[in-house]
Amino acid sequence: MANANFRRIGKVLAWMAAGFVGLAAAALLVAWVGLFNVAASRGHWAIVDWFLAFGMRNSVELRAMAISPPPLDNPDLIALGAGHFHGGCAFCHGAPGIPVSPIAHHMLPPPPDLTTSMRPWADAELFWIVKHGIKYTGMPGWVALNREDEIWAVVAFLRKIPTFEPTRYRELALGDLKLSRQTGKELATVESNQQAAGACARCHGAEGTVPGSALVPILHGQPAEFLARALQEYAKGSRRSGFMQPMASGLDAQEIRRLADYYSHLAPPQPKPGTVDRSLVERGRQLATEGDAANRVPACNACHASTALADYPRLAGQNAPYMARQLALWRSGYHTATAGGAIMAPIALRLNERDIAAVTAYFASLRAARDGGVQR
Amino acid sequence: MIPRGRLASICLALITLAACGGRQSALNPQGPEALRLTQLGWLLFALGAGILVLVVLATAVAVRGPDRLRTLLASARTVIWAGVVFPVTTLTLLLGYGIWLTRGGGIALDDPAALRVTVVGEQWWWRVVYQHRGTAVATANEIRIPVGRPLLFVLTSADVIHSFWVPNLGGKVDMIPGRTTHLRLRADQPGVFRGQCAEYCGGSHALMALEVISLSEPEFESWLEDQARPAAEPATTEARRGQELFVAAGCGGCHTVRGTPATGTVGPDLTHLGSRRSVGLDTLPMTEANIRRFIRDGQHVKPGNPMPPFRIFSQADLGAIAAYLAGLQ
Repeated sequence: MANANFRRIGKVLAWMAAGFVGLAAAALLVAWVGLFNVAASRGHWAIVDWFLAFGMRNSVELRAMAISPPPLDNPDLIALGAGHFHGGCAFCHGAPGIPVSPIAHHMLPPPPDLTTSMRPWADAELFWIVKHGIKYTGMPGWVALNREDEIWAVVAFLRKIPTFEPTRYRELALGDLKLSRQTGKELATVESNQQAAGACARCHGAEGTVPGSALVPILHGQPAEFLARALQEYAKGSRRSGFMQPMASGLDAQEIRRLADYYSHLAPPQPKPGTVDRSLVERGRQLATEGDAANRVPACNACHASTALADYPRLAGQNAPYMARQLALWRSGYHTATAGGAIMAPIALRLNERDIAAVTAYFASLRAARDGGVQR
Repeated sequence: MIPRGRLASICLALITLAACGGRQSALNPQGPEALRLTQLGWLLFALGAGILVLVVLATAVAVRGPDRLRTLLASARTVIWAGVVFPVTTLTLLLGYGIWLTRGGGIALDDPAALRVTVVGEQWWWRVVYQHRGTAVATANEIRIPVGRPLLFVLTSADVIHSFWVPNLGGKVDMIPGRTTHLRLRADQPGVFRGQCAEYCGGSHALMALEVISLSEPEFESWLEDQARPAAEPATTEARRGQELFVAAGCGGCHTVRGTPATGTVGPDLTHLGSRRSVGLDTLPMTEANIRRFIRDGQHVKPGNPMPPFRIFSQADLGAIAAYLAGLQ
């Protein structure tokens, strides 16, 4: 009796195995002969569409569960995110006043126009999508996975995107960039500059203008050697940034040189008058001029004064939030791969939170001196 | 193929020889303090060996001996005399002798004749400070001393517990953060002795060594006179460029070169680096190539040391800086 049962189960299993092999062979045959149509123009069946979206939603929700967002309601963060969005995302996803490109619209699936039809993702879910991208949709992952600070800037901007009028969006994404009206000939022989997607000045400012976000460094008056080195490191990818690597990778050596020269000759802006905490600034002055030998912190000015090597950045008049973020990045082990980062990272690790607040407040309160520094 | 037994005895002999050889050995005393420690050591060895022989004999008797002796060994009187009275007496006498032998050594803390040398243990190097005509003269990783003069080492630490030990000259003394300890020594012979941090102090502890060089009194005086002078002006164009780079690259944020804008106190004083025998502690001999290597790749020479690697320099830059530093005689 038991024996007969076993035999029956064995037979069923054998049939199932044969079925699987048959199916696999059929699938292989379909792929081999080319029967499956990969045309994006054809779209998916409605049920496939639904199934894929269902799977994606659940996958993102599951993976975003452990992520806790930092405070995002910060104008500097939003402006920083807008600057990147304009150059990196608007082509496919549109922006206030900018339609999705018809080319992008014919991808499969078509990328959603984020000004009008963004899913009600949570902050952490948006973060996960921007960081990792989505398989089979054309949505890429972030260029520098260890720059989560940058990804949060994009999320901060995305949160606000439905509230921006086109004019406000242009203010954020293009900064104080004034675009001249092009003649017909210019339009015909160059291209429309109205988006200016690759313009450094959108975020960094240029002659007479400053960065719109305090999380963006002021490049005006920095030594050309330092600027060129930074751009080369971004282009090579040894310095990681999802904002800067895409911008720098398109520049050749001569363009990098010309850009670096341009910014190095610009007059640094006046420091913004603001309320300063005197005791904080005094502690910062001490660190900058004398260091803190007991904690093995050398004086910042040994390398960052206007007379130092032109490979080093000048800090006088720099944006405090930008400097604080760089120091925080070094403390978390980021960009030690570059020659400059390898010098700064161990020193940043010896600074505590209060030191960082103090020293950045001090440098931000200074007026930048214009000096080329020592050439090598 | 060497028989295993002989191989073992060869190894043992080599280990013993390595310990006796020379410049870092407590068995080769070069001063009165070390001599006394060695005497005490040999006495302990001899006594210990004697007692070991007695114990082995007693064990043999207990297992195989004639009944008469075994009964004697098991008697209460033997246990009391050999097991209680003998150890208490021997150990008490040894303790008294040891304390008497290692007493201060006749160098008072305020002895005006003594040479005071402050040594600060840092991860992982030694900051050495002499007083010369009222000013501090700092150097690193190398202590020069006059033969025959009493020495008073004032020891402290900048970070964790280290231990100062130059086996040829005396015992070890801990360097404790927030406290000052003292070590009184004298060298009776000119020579070069190696010291070693004797308390685990982090990753590169094993590389935290120093050299003590004992010189005749006039040689020492002229050396200290030289050390007290500000740095030599760079002699060649290359060295001058090296000096410019040294200052502009921020080296002065951590290092002092007296008489120049470099006044940092985080790392070793480099005013007379070229006159020292080694680069990066006792790890590399003093050559320009090794200076270049330490600047660019010090983390491989002494892993975890606080100096960042300076890879921003070209080979020519490194050459210029090394020429400048090696010229600081």
